[in-house]
Amino acid sequence: MRRPRLVLCLLALAGAIATGATAATSADPGITGKTILIGGTTPLSGTASAYASVARGANAYFKFVNSRGGVNGRTITYKTVDDAYDPAKTVQATRQLVEQDKVFAIFNSLGTEQNVATREYLNSARVPQLFVASGATTFGRDFKQYPWTIGFQPGYRAEGWIYGKYLARTKAGAKIGVLFQNDDYGKDLLAGLKQGIAGSKVKIAAAQSFEATDPDVQSQISKLKASGANVLALFATPRHAIQGYVFANRLGWRPLIINNAVSSASNIMALASEGGTNKAVENSISIVFLKDPTDAKWRNDAAVKLYRSIMSRFAKGANQKDVYHVYGMAVAYEFVRVLKAAGKNPTRVSVMAQTRKLNDPSNPFLLPGLTVKTSATERFPIEQALLQRWSKGSWKSFGGLWGYRAG
Amino acid sequence: MKRTDLGGVLLFVLGAAAILLLPRFVSDFRAQQFAYVGIYFIALLGLNVLTGYTGQISLGHGAFMAIGGYTTAILVSDQGLKLGSHTFSADVKDIWTIPLAGLVAGIAGFLFGFPALRLAGLYLALATFAIAVAMPGVLKYDRFAQFTGGGGGINLFESAARTRPAETTDPITFETISKPIKVLGLEIASFNEWLYYLSWVVALFMLAVAWVLLRGKNGRSFRAVRDSELAAASSGVNLATYKTLAFGISAFYAGVAGSLLAIATTFVNPDTYPITLSIFLLVGVVVGGLGSLWPLVFGAIFIQFLPLWAQEVSKAQGAPAVVYGVILILVMILLPGGAAGLIRRLKTLYKSRLPSRPLSRTSD
Amino acid sequence: MAEFFQQVVAGLATGSIFAALALALVLIHRATGVINFAQGEMAMFTTYIAWTMIENHGMNDWLAFGLTLVIAFGLGLGLQRAVIRPIERAPLLTTVIVTIGLVLIFNGLASLIWGAEVRAFPSPFPNDTWEIGGVAISQQDVGTFLTVLVMVSLLWAFFQFTKIGLALRASALNPDASRLVGVRVGWMLAIGWGLAAMLGAAAGMLTAPTVFLDPNMMQAVLIYAFAAAVLGGIDSPFGAVAGGLMLGVGLNLIGTYVDFVGAGLRLPVALLIILVVLLVKPSGLFGKPVTRRV
Repeated sequence: MRRPRLVLCLLALAGAIATGATAATSADPGITGKTILIGGTTPLSGTASAYASVARGANAYFKFVNSRGGVNGRTITYKTVDDAYDPAKTVQATRQLVEQDKVFAIFNSLGTEQNVATREYLNSARVPQLFVASGATTFGRDFKQYPWTIGFQPGYRAEGWIYGKYLARTKAGAKIGVLFQNDDYGKDLLAGLKQGIAGSKVKIAAAQSFEATDPDVQSQISKLKASGANVLALFATPRHAIQGYVFANRLGWRPLIINNAVSSASNIMALASEGGTNKAVENSISIVFLKDPTDAKWRNDAAVKLYRSIMSRFAKGANQKDVYHVYGMAVAYEFVRVLKAAGKNPTRVSVMAQTRKLNDPSNPFLLPGLTVKTSATERFPIEQALLQRWSKGSWKSFGGLWGYRAG
Repeated sequence: MKRTDLGGVLLFVLGAAAILLLPRFVSDFRAQQFAYVGIYFIALLGLNVLTGYTGQISLGHGAFMAIGGYTTAILVSDQGLKLGSHTFSADVKDIWTIPLAGLVAGIAGFLFGFPALRLAGLYLALATFAIAVAMPGVLKYDRFAQFTGGGGGINLFESAARTRPAETTDPITFETISKPIKVLGLEIASFNEWLYYLSWVVALFMLAVAWVLLRGKNGRSFRAVRDSELAAASSGVNLATYKTLAFGISAFYAGVAGSLLAIATTFVNPDTYPITLSIFLLVGVVVGGLGSLWPLVFGAIFIQFLPLWAQEVSKAQGAPAVVYGVILILVMILLPGGAAGLIRRLKTLYKSRLPSRPLSRTSD
Repeated sequence: MAEFFQQVVAGLATGSIFAALALALVLIHRATGVINFAQGEMAMFTTYIAWTMIENHGMNDWLAFGLTLVIAFGLGLGLQRAVIRPIERAPLLTTVIVTIGLVLIFNGLASLIWGAEVRAFPSPFPNDTWEIGGVAISQQDVGTFLTVLVMVSLLWAFFQFTKIGLALRASALNPDASRLVGVRVGWMLAIGWGLAAMLGAAAGMLTAPTVFLDPNMMQAVLIYAFAAAVLGGIDSPFGAVAGGLMLGVGLNLIGTYVDFVGAGLRLPVALLIILVVLLVKPSGLFGKPVTRRV
C-alpha cells in the first residue's frame, strides 16, 4: 500500500525536475527568508560520546558560513539533540526536531541503528534525512525504498572490499585474522573484506568478535595469533583498535595490520604506538578520504589552515587534532553547496533533488582527487579512497584512488 | 466501601478526567512526550510493587521491558514469527499484543522469582543487574537472530507509517497525506494523540489494578515482607508466594510498558533497552516515592523530561549529565521520600492547620 | 597447550583489573553498608587528575600517583560528609540513587573538563614482555597483579591490626554500640569513603595503561567488578580478588573453549554462572552468611 504512493511521488518528482519546476512556496517548515533550521542527533553522552565531534565540526563550519553572510542570505542554524547512542532516544529526539522544532531537514545524525530507526518515519513524513553519519551499506543501496535518505562517507563494506582487493593483489597467501566489533559496522567491514578476497588465494584464518562494552580484547587477539594469521585486520572503534595494537605487541606478534578508517587518525595511531615503543604500528595499512590535521603533509594546506581557524573561532576549547571535526566540516561544506545549488527558494524537494546529482571534485576537506558524486542509480556520495601506510610516525598515501561500485 | 476508599475513587476519576483532557491544551508533540510519561509510569508501578512493597531491589526491569517489547515486535513484524509459510504479523494488530507481551514478561519474572528467593539485598540486586546487562547480549546472539533481528533489531513498519506527523503534506501535490487514525470508528487527529490515549488508558487501568491488588490485606502482606521478613513469616504470611508473585506482577507491568515502548518507537534492538533504562526506572521509583502509587507519575515525569531540560541548560559535552546528577542528588537530599513523601508532608501540614477535631481512625 | 596458558595469563591480567575495583567496592560496603555505583567513575575521574598532573604539569609519574591517592582520599571523605551524611536516615535506596547521581556528575565532568577522546596513561611498570614456554607474559600485567595482591594484603592487615580498621568495622556492624564506646561513627564512615576512593584511584591508574583513558573507561569494568565482588562475597577483600581473577580467567576460557559462546555471550554466560554459584552459596564464595536477628 505504501509503495505505489512512493512510486507516484518519484514519478511526480521526475516530472517536476524535468519541467524545471520548483515549488516555491513557504509550505516547508524550518525555512524563512533569512534563516534555515536543520537538526540532527548526536551522542553527546554514553559510550559513543567521542563521535560528538562530528556534529561539533559541522556546527563550527556553519557558524563560519553564517559569519560570511550565510547561503543566499540565509543563516543556517544546526540544532543537535543528544540521543546517548540509544536508537529509542534517537526516534524521540528526531520526532522532537521534526514536530516541535519544525526543522527543514534532518542532517548528519550519527549512528547506523540510530538512523535506521528513524528512516521509516522521516521518509513517510517527507523530511530529508541528509548525509547520514554512518557507513552502512543500506543508506546508499536502498534509495528506491527510501528516497529521502542519503549517506555521505564511504561505506564500510566498500572499505573492507578495498582492503581485500589490495591483499589479493599484493599478498597472495596471506592469512587474515579479523578482530571485529559485533555490530553492523564491524560486520559490514568483514563482509566487504570477504567480498574483496573472493576468488583469490587470500583466506580469512579466524574472525573474533567483541562487544563495544568489553573492557579489553586481549583474549581475542591471542586467539587470532594462535590461528596462524599473518595479517591482522582491526575492524574496531578507536579504543579497541588501540588495544589490538597493544596486545599484538605484547604477544610478540608482528602481522601486517590493517586498521579501519574510523580508528586510523594520526593521534590514535600515536597512542597505539605507545610513545614509540610499540613497533606493531609500523607499516599499518588504512584508507583515508579526509585530510588528517595531525598529518605533517597537510600542515600548510589551505583547507587545514581554514579548519584550524574555524575551530579556533567557533569551537573554542575543542581538540583540533580530532579528525572527526574535519569530517563534520566536510559534510557541512557539502550541505552548503547543495543548499546554494537549490536556488533562492530551496524546498525539501529541491534540496533532495540536488543530492541526487552531486558532482563535487573540490571539497576542500577531502583528499584532492576525490569527487563527491551521486546519480540516478548511484547514491553513495563518496566511494573513493586512497590507501595509506603508517611509517615512522605518519601516514603516507600510496597508489592511486580506489573506487568501489556496490555489487 | 470505606469513606477513604470513596475519596480515593473520586480522586482517581478526577485525575483520569484531567489526563484524558490534557491533549486539548498542549501541543501535539508535547502529547507524545506525555505518552512516554504514561509508559514509564506503568513500568514504575510495576517496579514499585517489587521494590517499594516487598523490598526486593531490582536493577533489571529494563530486561523485562525488553521481553515485552520484543514479544510485540516479533509478533507484529514481517521478520517475526512464522509457522511454516504463514506469517503471524498478517493477523495481528500491534495493540492486541500488549497483554500478551505483559504475560510473557510476567511469566519470566515469576520464574525468576523462584531462584531469587534464595538471594537477599545486594545479591538480588546483582542478580537483577546481571539480567539487565546480559539481555542485550542475548538479544544480539546470532542463533536467535532470525527471531530477534540480532543487532539490527526489528522494524515495525506498519506502525512506523502511522507515526507521520499530523500536518504532513505531500511536497509535490500538496495534498494531505496523513491519514487520521480511527479508533472505534472515531477519528483521532494524529499519531501523537493516539499514542497518548493508548498509553494513558492502559496506565490508568493498570493503576486501578495495582490499587485493587495492594489494598487491604494483600497490601499489608506485601509491605510486611519488606519491613521484616521474619515478622511477616511468623504472622503467617507465605513469603515465597508473595515474593515470587511480586516479581511476576512487576514483570508483567514492565512487559506492558515495554510493549508500548515498542509501539511508540516502532523499532526495537538490543540497544533500545540498555542498562541505563533499568537504572533510571529505579531512579523514577525513588523520586516518585517508594511504596506509593499515583505519585509515581512524578517519577515518570522526572525521568522523561529532566534529560531534555538538562540539555537546554547547556549543550557542552558532559554538562547535561552534570546538571541531571546535581538535581537528582538535591532532590534526594531535600525529599528523601520522593514526591510521595512531599505530598505526605503537605497533607500533615494541612491537617495540622485545621481546627482540632477528635482523632479519627486513619487507614494505611 | 600454550594457548590455554596464554588465555589463563590474559585472564589473570584482566581479572586483576576487576579485582582492583572490586576491592574498593568491598571496602565501601564493609565500612558503610552502601553499594557505591559511582566507584568506577570516581576512579576514572581521579585517574584523569593524575593524567593532568603528568601531562600538563610535567610531574614525575610516581609523585603524581601518590598525590592522586591523597586527592582521592580527600574527595571520598568530602563526598561522604557533603552528600551522603544528609541522607543517613533515609532508606538505603535513597543512597543508591545518590550514587547514581554521582555517576552522572563524574562522567559528565570528565567529558566537560578533558573531552571524550581516548588518551594514553603511563604505567609504572615497563612495557616489556617475557616469553616463557611459548606464553607471552607482559610485565605490566605482572605488575598489576602483584600490586593488587599488595593492596588486598594491606587492606586485610588494616582491618585486622589497626585501631582505625577495627573502629571502621565496628561502625559498620553496630553504629550505636560503637558510639557507646567512643567511636566517632560519623568520621569513620567518611574515612571509609576516603579509603575506598583511594583504592578506586589505584584501580583506575592500574587499568588505564591497558584499557586507555576515556570517560567511559571504567563502566564495563564496574560491571565485572561488581560481579566479582558479589561472587567472592561482598564483605571479603580476599573474596573480591579471588572473584575477579576467577571471572577474568573464566571469561577467557569460556570464550575460547565453549564454541557456541561468541563474544556477545561471554558476559551473560559468566553472569549466569555467578548466579548459579549464588544460589548454592547465597553469600558468595568467601562471604559469611548473614544472620538475621529478630
